[in-house]
Amino acid sequence: MRIPPTLSAVLSNLFKKPATNPFPASDPVPTPEGFRGKLNYDVEKCVGCRLCVMVCPAGVIEYVPEVRKVTFWLGRCVFCQQCVDVCPVKALEMSDEFLLATDDKYNDNLRWFKEDEIEELKKKLEEQKKAKGAESQKK
Amino acid sequence: MNVDEFVKAFGERFPEAEIRVSENKQPHPKRRVWVEIDREKFHDAMKFVKELDPKAQFSIIIGMDAGDRLLAKYHLEMFWEEGGSLSLVIGTSVPKDDPKLPTVTDIFPSALPYERENQEFLGLFFEGIPDPRRLFLPDDFPEGIYPLRLDETGIKPEMVKNAGHPYRMGGEKK
Repeated sequence: MRIPPTLSAVLSNLFKKPATNPFPASDPVPTPEGFRGKLNYDVEKCVGCRLCVMVCPAGVIEYVPEVRKVTFWLGRCVFCQQCVDVCPVKALEMSDEFLLATDDKYNDNLRWFKEDEIEELKKKLEEQKKAKGAESQKK
Repeated sequence: MNVDEFVKAFGERFPEAEIRVSENKQPHPKRRVWVEIDREKFHDAMKFVKELDPKAQFSIIIGMDAGDRLLAKYHLEMFWEEGGSLSLVIGTSVPKDDPKLPTVTDIFPSALPYERENQEFLGLFFEGIPDPRRLFLPDDFPEGIYPLRLDETGIKPEMVKNAGHPYRMGGEKK
C-alpha cells in the first residue's frame, strides 16, 4: 500500500488546537474598522432631500412627502453604504450590528421610521402649525 | 497588421463601409476600429475579416433597439498573436419590419450563442442559423415578446412584478 502524501500533515494536525470559533458559546469574530452592518437612521437630522432614495440600488428607502422624511425597510438592504456617503446632514450611518436574522421579514428591527412614528410626527407638525396660526392671529 | 493597415485594406475591399477609428487616452491608450456596413455586404465583410486573420477572436454580438431600426455590433479581437491586438467593432442594422441578418456561424462558430440570445431577446433573426432554439428565456415565456425591445413587442407593464415596500403596502391597506 502507498503512503498517502498528506499523512504527515494529518498526523501533525491531530495534536494541534482546532482553529475554529465556537460561536454561540463565544463572541463572534470581531468586526473590522469600517464594517458595514445594520443601517442607523436619525429622524431628527433628516431634511428630506431624497438623495438616498435616488442612490439606493435595492429599493430600501421610500419617501414620505407629508412629513418630508424617509422610511426604511432593511429586508432588502445590500449594505453598499451609498446612502451614508451621499447624505448631506449625516443622518445615516452604518453600525457594527450584523446578527439580523428574524422569522418575519417585516420585523420592527428591520424598519426605520415606521407608520406609527410617521403618524406621531404628522400630528406634532399639525399642532405646531395650529399654534403658529393662533400666534399670528393674536398679533 | 496595425490599425492603419487594417483600415486601408478594409476600405479598399469595401469602399461603401463607414470606418472610424476611436482613441481612448486613460487609463490604457488604445485605438479601436468601428465599421458600419449594410447587411447585404455584412456576410462578405465578416468573411474578409476571417481571411485577414484566420485566428481572429470573436467576442460578442451586442444588439440594440434604436427606434425604427435594430442595430447589431460584432466585437472582434484580431492579430492578438502579434502583441498589441486590434479591436474591431463591425456594426450593421436592419429595419424592424424585416429584422433578418445572415448568420456568421459558418465563419465564426462561436457566434451561435450570441445569435440565439439576440433572437429571443431582441427579435433579430438570423437566416441559416443551425440551432434556432431559445437559450436563456424559459420555455413558458410567451411568443412574440422580446424583452429588450423598447416598443410594443417589449415587456408589458403587467409582467413586471415588485415584492413591495412595507410602507407602500401599509398605505394601500388604509
